[in-house]
Amino acid sequence: MTALVLALVIPWAVGAVLVLLDGERPVVGWVAVGAVAANVAALVVLAADVLSGGPVVVGTGEWPPGVGITLRADALGVLFAALSSLMLLAALVHEVVGAVRERAFPGLTVLLTAGLTGVFLTGDVFNFYVFFELAMTASYILATYGGARRELGAALVFMLVNLFGTFVFVLSVAGVYHLTGTLDMAILAERVRAVEPATGVVIAAGFFIAFSVKLGLFPFHFWLPTVYTRARPAVAAILSGSLANIGAYGMLRFGGELLAQELRYAATVLILIGCASIIYGGVLAVSRRTASEMLAYSAIGQVGYVLVAVGVGGPAGFAAAILYTVVNAVNKTMLFMTVRMRGPLVGAIFVVGALSVAGIPPAVGFAGKLELFRAVADEPALIVLFFLGSALSFVYVFQVYQYDFWREKREDPVRAWPQQVVAAVLALAVLAAGLWPEPLLALSRDAADVLRGGGG
Amino acid sequence: MKLILALTVASLFGTGAYLLLNRDLVRVVLGIVIVSQASVLTLVASGLTRGDAPIEPRRGREISDPLSQAMALTAIVIGLAVTALLLIVVLRVARAYRTEQLSEVAETETERDARLEREAAASHADEEAAAR
Repeated sequence: MTALVLALVIPWAVGAVLVLLDGERPVVGWVAVGAVAANVAALVVLAADVLSGGPVVVGTGEWPPGVGITLRADALGVLFAALSSLMLLAALVHEVVGAVRERAFPGLTVLLTAGLTGVFLTGDVFNFYVFFELAMTASYILATYGGARRELGAALVFMLVNLFGTFVFVLSVAGVYHLTGTLDMAILAERVRAVEPATGVVIAAGFFIAFSVKLGLFPFHFWLPTVYTRARPAVAAILSGSLANIGAYGMLRFGGELLAQELRYAATVLILIGCASIIYGGVLAVSRRTASEMLAYSAIGQVGYVLVAVGVGGPAGFAAAILYTVVNAVNKTMLFMTVRMRGPLVGAIFVVGALSVAGIPPAVGFAGKLELFRAVADEPALIVLFFLGSALSFVYVFQVYQYDFWREKREDPVRAWPQQVVAAVLALAVLAAGLWPEPLLALSRDAADVLRGGGG
Repeated sequence: MKLILALTVASLFGTGAYLLLNRDLVRVVLGIVIVSQASVLTLVASGLTRGDAPIEPRRGREISDPLSQAMALTAIVIGLAVTALLLIVVLRVARAYRTEQLSEVAETETERDARLEREAAASHADEEAAAR
C-alpha cells in the first residue's frame, strides 16, 4: 500500500517542483532521473506485493469503499506501469547524459511518469481520464521539445488529434456512468453485463476510437508518422515506448475486463483492423529510407499484432498481446535512441533491435512472435499474415541498417559514448530476455489472468 | 429533456468536428473547444437523478446527481487548461511559419520532406552506381 502511494506521490511532487527550475542544468536533470528511478523502485516493490499477495487496493481520502476513488494495483496495471516508467527512465537518462536543451524537459518527463503510473494503477474510470490528461498534457509540451518549426508543427497535429480522442473517451465515460451508475472498474465490470449489447457496443466503440488514436492503428494513424519523425529522438522514444502503452492497456482493460461481452461481438472487426495495420505499416516502412520514418511506420504495423491478439482473446491471446506490447515498447525506445547516433556499437544495438522487431532469436522479439503464433494457432489465415508481416519487418529493418551503417559516411559520425551505453543496456536486456524469456512469459500470463477474472 | 440534450450534444459535436476540419488554426481551436463542451454537456446529462442542486437540498425534494456534476467540473477545468496550452502552441506555430493556415504549414513541410526524399534518392543512386 505504501509502495502504491509512493509510486504516485514521488514523481508528482518532484515533477511539480522541477518544472519551475531550469532543466538545462545537469543537477535538475539528475534529480529528475532520481525521481523516476524512485518511482520504478516503488513499482517493483509493489509488483512483488501484487504477484505474491494479490491486488493492492487503496481508497483515497479515507472515504468508505464504494464512495471514494480507489487506486487498484493488479498484475496487469503494475506490469504496464513498471514498463512505462522504465522506458521513461531510459529515455530521460539518454537525454540527460547528452545535453538537455529545454528547461522544462526533465520536469515534464517526471510529471509524465506520474500521469502514466496513475493511469495504470487507478481503479476508477473517470480518474483514469484525469491521469490520462495529466500524462497527455505533459507529452503535448514534450512534443514541442526542440522548439523549431518542424517540432512545433508536429506537436500541433499531435495535440489536436489526441485532444479529439480524449473527448471521445469522456463521451464514453459519461455513457458508461449513465448505464451502470458507477465509475469503479470492479463494480462496473459486473454491472455492465446486464447492459443491452447494442448500447454497450456504441460505448465500446468510443473507447476503441480513443485508444486506437493513441496507439496509431491503421485508420487512426495519420498523425503518427509526422509526429514520430519530426520530434527529437528522445521524445519519439518516450511517445512510442511509454505513452503508446496507454492504448494497449486501454484495449486490454476496457475491452478485456470491463466490456468483455462487447469485445467478443467486435472481435472480427478488431482482427481485420489489426491485419490492415500490420500490412499497411509493413509495406510503407519498406518504402522508407530514413530510420525515423521506417520506425514510425513500423510502430503502426507492430501495434496491429497487439490488436489482433486482443481480438483473438482468451488467456493465450491476452497474454500474447501483453508480452508483445512489452517487447514492442523496449524495441521502439531502443531503436529511436539510435536514430541520430553512428558507430560500431550503435550498429550492434541497431541489429539487436532489428532482430527483435523481425522476431528472430536470440532477441526477445522471438518470444513475443512465438506467443502470437501460439495464440492464433487455430487460424491458418492469421498465421500466414503474421508470417508475411514478420517478413516485411525483416526487410524494412535490415534495409535501413544496410543504408545507415554499411555505407561510407560522408559526415562525421556522432560519438556520444554515455548515450550509447544507455541504448546498449536496453540491447543487453533485450538479448537477456530473449535467451531466458520464462520470467517475462510468466509475468504476461499472470497479467492476463486478471482479465479472465473480470471478463468471466 | 433527454431528446433536447441529445440533440444539443449532437449539434455541438458536429459543429466542433466541422470546425476541426477547417484550415484556419483559430477555427480549429474553436472546434476543439466546442467538442469539449459537447463532452461536458454529456457528462451533465448522464446524471442518474434530476432535481435540486446537491449543495443546498430542500426537504422532501429529490436532488440531482452530484457525481456527474463533479465530473463535469473536472472536465471543464482540464478543458480550460488544455485550451490555453493549445492556443500557445498555435501562437508559436503561427509565428514560426508566419501563417495561420494549416494548409500552408502542411505545404511547407511537404516541400521540405520531398526535397529530403529527392536528396536521399539521389545519394542512394550515386552509391549504387559507384558500387557497380
